[in-house]
Amino acid sequence: MEYLRMLGAVVWKDLVVELRTRERFAAMAGFTVLVGILFNYAVDPTVVDPQGIAAGMVWLTVVFGGMLGLGRTFHLEEDEGAFQGVLLSPIPRDALYLGKVVANFVLLVLVTALVFAVFGLFFGLSFGRAPGTLAAVVALGTLGFVAVGTLFSAVSARTTMGETLLPILVFPLLVPVVIYGVTATKSLLAGIPAAEVEGNLRMLAAFALAALAAGAILFRHVVEE
Amino acid sequence: MKKLLVWTAALGVLWLVPWGEVVAQTAGGATSPLAGQSLRGYTHMFVAYFIAWALIFGWVISIALRLGRLERNLKG
Amino acid sequence: MSRNLRWSALVLGMLGTAGALALHWMVFFWVPTERTMGVVQRIFYIHVPAAWVAFMAFGIVALASVGYLWLKDERLDRAAVSAAEGGMVFTSVVLLTGPLWGKVAWGTWWTWEPRLTLTLLLWFIYLGYFLVRSATENPERGKRFAAVVGIVGALDIPLIHVSVQFFRSLHPPPVVLKPEGPTLDSEMLVTLFVGLGAFTLLFFSFFLFRYGLEYARNQMVRRGTPSEVPGLSGGLS
Repeated sequence: MEYLRMLGAVVWKDLVVELRTRERFAAMAGFTVLVGILFNYAVDPTVVDPQGIAAGMVWLTVVFGGMLGLGRTFHLEEDEGAFQGVLLSPIPRDALYLGKVVANFVLLVLVTALVFAVFGLFFGLSFGRAPGTLAAVVALGTLGFVAVGTLFSAVSARTTMGETLLPILVFPLLVPVVIYGVTATKSLLAGIPAAEVEGNLRMLAAFALAALAAGAILFRHVVEE
Repeated sequence: MKKLLVWTAALGVLWLVPWGEVVAQTAGGATSPLAGQSLRGYTHMFVAYFIAWALIFGWVISIALRLGRLERNLKG
Repeated sequence: MSRNLRWSALVLGMLGTAGALALHWMVFFWVPTERTMGVVQRIFYIHVPAAWVAFMAFGIVALASVGYLWLKDERLDRAAVSAAEGGMVFTSVVLLTGPLWGKVAWGTWWTWEPRLTLTLLLWFIYLGYFLVRSATENPERGKRFAAVVGIVGALDIPLIHVSVQFFRSLHPPPVVLKPEGPTLDSEMLVTLFVGLGAFTLLFFSFFLFRYGLEYARNQMVRRGTPSEVPGLSGGLS
């Protein structure tokens, strides 16, 4: 219980900071909408059927946009040396990591919802017959992405290369999320019944769980000095 | 006069030979799918073996160079 | 580099070289030519051993990294970085010989064949390992970060493997030829095993040399002349 309270405190702190500055959300939201506009000219929707490639467009936009926000997960604390203070507080390292993941997850789910809404509007997409399953696919995929991204954001923030290193570390690991997320989203957008993507959902859940466990265990080795 | 006849005959023979077919036949023989395939196969195989050993022995040579430099520094 | 280490490395290296010479004799003069793919199939006898060594090296990186984070023993970090460097070399061999084979056997330089794709991703994980290691001001921090990359990468490799297989099951490849061909003759199998043995011996020999190099570097650091140590943090310098 105490553990959850501390975890909640980290989530609350991060979300309040984000609510006050709106730095990361604004960057990601602006980026994704602009990518949508660029897609319209890069992939001529009068020639290519947008419904057929929407799944790939949405996921890649979320992944690229997410890198912007995830890369700055620890930026505020690194900047002012405030992370020492966070580390000195009696919060277990894994609670700190999971708190950061939850805060990033809330942020990224909002961004993903925005991407679906905006792309749906721009390209006249239909979201299939199982919006609940689609939401589950997106949520689990995002959770796995955030779990890996948050851990390596802590790594890259403390290297001399900084955020430029993050995609090189994260993208190879993200292949399962992209494969299962995109194929499931594609099926659902094409109106295939939800039961068909159950295997994808399980794999996305397995990835998210494994990533969360690995991150929670390894995080203290990243932040210790 | 004799010379001229010889040259004319020779040129005539050259002119009569169906070069198009000869070229087609010899070229066809040289680039029959099977022959091309196996020749290409050999080139690719030797290139692959060369690259593999160049990389592997390149690695050990680079280790030796780095080690030699360090050990000179440690002694000197 | 200690005498024991040097001798074991030399002995392993000589055994491996003998194995490699035997392998070449077998490949070029003894083993029968594969029926459907022809002579190019002989790339198989270095391609598969290189892949085996590359993945084994990654296993060593992961285990040594877990041990390093747990025990903070410098020797484990040295083992991890040595195996990672070897893994990168052998992964490169796989990635360069694979397309040479594919061009003749399948008619294309690159296919999204699951195992080839997995190896490419493995190469990039190794790349991340070395970038993280060399991009920190504090070498100890670099070692820890690299260990984290090695462990998470090793956990993810099975998932990537399953997912790329799944992806291929959705998109059948243009050619149904399996890289090994339908079955292997006993002579082919023997040649393959000689290749596996030779590559494994050579890997461990060079691994020990690399370990000695990392040891010498650490000694140099301890003597307090870090400015003269090339590639202090153990990047691919």
